[in-house]
Amino acid sequence: MKRTVLGLAAALSLALAGGAHAQAYPTKPVTMIVPFAAGGPTDIIARIVGDHMSKTLGQQVVIENVAGAGGTTGITRALTAAPDGYTIAMGHLGTFSAAPATYPGLKYDPINGMQPIGMAGGTPILIVGRKNLDAADLKAFVAAVKANPDKFNEAHAGLGSVSWTTCTLFKGILGTPKLNAVAYRGTGPALNDLVSGQIDFMCDQIVSVSEQVKAGTIKAYAIASAQRSPALPNVPTTTEAGLPEYQIEAWNGIAAPKGTPKEAVDRLVDALNKALNDENTKKRLLELGTVLPTAAERTPDGFAALIKRDAAKLDPALKAAPK
Amino acid sequence: MDMFSNLALGFGVALSLQNLALCFAGCLVGTLIGVLPGVGPIATIAILLPITFGLDPTGALIMLAGIYYGAQYGGSTTAILVNIPGEATSVVTTLDGHQMAKQGRAGVALGTAAIGSFFAGCVATLFIAALGAPLTKLALLFGPAEYFSLMVMGLCFAVVLARGSILKAFCMIMVGLLLSTVGTDLETGQERMTLGFAPLADGIDFAVLAMGVFGFAEVLRNLENPEARDVVKTKIGRLLPDWNDIKQSVAPVLRGTFIGGILGILPGNGAVLGPFASYTLEKKIAKDPSRFGKGAIEGVAGPESANNAGAQTAFIPLLTLGIPPNAVMALMVGAMTIHGIIPGPQVITKNPDLFWGMIASMWIGNLMLLIINLPLVGVWVKLLQVPYRLMFPSILIFCCIGIYSVNNQPVDVAFTAMFGLFGYLLIKLGFEPAPMLLGFVLGKLMEEKLRQALIISRGSFMTFVERPISAGLLVVAVVILVVALLPSINKKRDEVFTE
Amino acid sequence: MSLNQIEKAQGVRVRSSQDLAAGLFMLLLAGLAMVMSWELPMGTLRQLGPGMLPKSFAVICAFLGALLVLSSLRFEGEALSGWSWRGVFFVLGAACVFALCIRGFDIGPIHVPQLGLAVAGPLVILISGLAADDFRPKELVIFAVAMSTACALLFKYALSLPIPLAPWLLGI
Repeated sequence: MKRTVLGLAAALSLALAGGAHAQAYPTKPVTMIVPFAAGGPTDIIARIVGDHMSKTLGQQVVIENVAGAGGTTGITRALTAAPDGYTIAMGHLGTFSAAPATYPGLKYDPINGMQPIGMAGGTPILIVGRKNLDAADLKAFVAAVKANPDKFNEAHAGLGSVSWTTCTLFKGILGTPKLNAVAYRGTGPALNDLVSGQIDFMCDQIVSVSEQVKAGTIKAYAIASAQRSPALPNVPTTTEAGLPEYQIEAWNGIAAPKGTPKEAVDRLVDALNKALNDENTKKRLLELGTVLPTAAERTPDGFAALIKRDAAKLDPALKAAPK
Repeated sequence: MDMFSNLALGFGVALSLQNLALCFAGCLVGTLIGVLPGVGPIATIAILLPITFGLDPTGALIMLAGIYYGAQYGGSTTAILVNIPGEATSVVTTLDGHQMAKQGRAGVALGTAAIGSFFAGCVATLFIAALGAPLTKLALLFGPAEYFSLMVMGLCFAVVLARGSILKAFCMIMVGLLLSTVGTDLETGQERMTLGFAPLADGIDFAVLAMGVFGFAEVLRNLENPEARDVVKTKIGRLLPDWNDIKQSVAPVLRGTFIGGILGILPGNGAVLGPFASYTLEKKIAKDPSRFGKGAIEGVAGPESANNAGAQTAFIPLLTLGIPPNAVMALMVGAMTIHGIIPGPQVITKNPDLFWGMIASMWIGNLMLLIINLPLVGVWVKLLQVPYRLMFPSILIFCCIGIYSVNNQPVDVAFTAMFGLFGYLLIKLGFEPAPMLLGFVLGKLMEEKLRQALIISRGSFMTFVERPISAGLLVVAVVILVVALLPSINKKRDEVFTE
Repeated sequence: MSLNQIEKAQGVRVRSSQDLAAGLFMLLLAGLAMVMSWELPMGTLRQLGPGMLPKSFAVICAFLGALLVLSSLRFEGEALSGWSWRGVFFVLGAACVFALCIRGFDIGPIHVPQLGLAVAGPLVILISGLAADDFRPKELVIFAVAMSTACALLFKYALSLPIPLAPWLLGI
């Protein structure tokens, strides 16, 4: 029944578009669901990339914010939509790699039940502490936490958030999963309490904390990426600082419902790549502290591999985390 | 002095033709979305973000800021005319503002709100320019314990909002608190009281609750007694406040500006408390508190000034610390980052054009809003003459579209209908919904801060008394409560004895 | 002491049916909240559980409800007034119809296609308009069409909200 109605609607819209002959995808605006509130890091990346994708597709990419339950509400809606290429989603590390282990009742399967399009950008993760912590570097900090876990308070932006996911991995590596975790509604208030010294440390995306680090109101211990960031060249990588196991990036990427026609997938991959190769879009993304994806990561297969790899990495720590 | 040379720089930036036009566009769009119930600044700013790609960052931020404070202006119009608070900050305005409209003084109420807001906006602009940097220290003094105590104090304010029974006001606060706990637990991710219903997983949206218990329930109430609604349309009265009205409003505006300005700086949306605190103060120091809730002009002038002052000083933590105190400010962070400016303590030194240009544009924007709004007062008041049989379907369709667009979830509209029924039931049972809304807004924050404070203090309640600011706030809370309760206990006794 | 004497002298009777109903309503709400949050752990003082606040609030609600019931027996107050089903039915019904039509819906065997604002808009106005005692059919129809067009222009085009207009006809 649903199919017929949709079919009729599609036929009708095609007819209106002016030809009995089927026209190439897309013939109407594409909805990109962002599963978070407007203005957040994922939303900004979606709007920047979507703006350029509209040019290549010849149809508007409309951003629709459907927030809720750590982003899983919006992704569920996108992945259960008709697989016609007109509904896609911009998810991130949390919704695609961490969600299955975080939310037991998850209604979608990011590994087998969706059509990845490609990665749009990665954001390095920083371990930051309040400015008057004794530990001078990551090694000393890790030693202090391990020796006296009860003395430390960690802040995060709620279960399922990037800061929670990445910090849970950090605590899993340290072997202190039960360390005092203080939940905030968003990283803004958490950062406020970190600056004022109410809490001791947090893990967060570079874009949220870089200016505070530069101003010296908080201390950055390490960046959990392979390379140092041009935004904060003085902050060592976790490998340099002696904790090479802790490697994690908060990436964003686009996916469509499983069964989306190959023609539409190809067009979307092409549009994404053109957007990421555009000088102006690139500049905007780099200004955000975003790391541009490699050529492989921009393809459905490469993106799928990334999702799988990070899911495997996060799984043990997330399942062991106290919930 | 430094401040003046800085402000001169700011006005130089803000008075360019392009920035003036953008400021005006922002204020106009802001007023429009503020007047439309449900469509809030968050959705609009998000949608307009890509449009600002082509602009320079200062111009873009000037426009987006204009939308934000323009919406605060517009929101009070809806609160006064149709008794629907578009945002948490205009809940209090419905109490006396709508009563004034019913008495045929809608124009005076709208005018007072606009002039009070303008004054508050001017003072707040100077305030940010002069004290912005040092005042950020205040935001840092507020940790979870202080914040919890502030919320407790806020809830004690709510008792004063009561028209009639204080016991019933207490009931409403508790119902609001109870409703605020619905949804996924922030810390453990467990679903609470959602009955496994996915759309409830993130709790009840403020817009859904407010449109339901105010908007829909008000329509139901009006449909029931045709006389009540006709009062609004037969009497038009003066369009602008006269000298007497202004004399009555001067002191409340001053006090409201001060209270709203201070609370606006606090992290975690302290600005919502401003109008409530101002209303409480005005009602407490009034010679005849019984006028409140029946169309007292102080009940509009004070809270409206507080609301606008708070809306503006909320920029202080954003501009000087880089920390957004509420959802709209978080969106402004997004807008700034999209233009390659990462908000932080260094914005003032690194981008003085942007910082001072924005501050100067706020003053210009406030002036523009006054110019946009005062002539519109006549138009708004005329709207009240539309026959109610056509007015309420229009309110309904605006509410439906507005609520749908908050999260793009149709089920939210159905929830609003449910809360409409709930609100109608409350009216029938003699409950006032305003304290419930305050309880609801503060409930989430209060629980979050309580749990944070207890984790940090390792389970010791003493933390609330040991920390001086927190202890001070709790003392104020107790004093408010005692002052509010004493007369009513005495009164009830008298009633018993005279029976 | 003196209070009790007065009570005895006048006997216990319902003096405000509105307050009595309000009190019972609070008790019912508290009971409901208690049942729904029954399984949530209370946690410890150091780490409050998700059940701590809902349950505490429910207990306070119940206490306030009981106080209201008692006061309804003691103080004179308003009586319950009638309830108008016509408004409830048409106004709230119209909102529910909007919710069902705007994006389409599947509830069990019932399937509503995505009708969009072009259909949901006029329906809201037409259905809710019936709630007024003095509605005029012709005026209402014209108003429904005009208002929906205005809303479509305002929300879809002026404010460019991502709201479906008529997916079945226009594809947007």
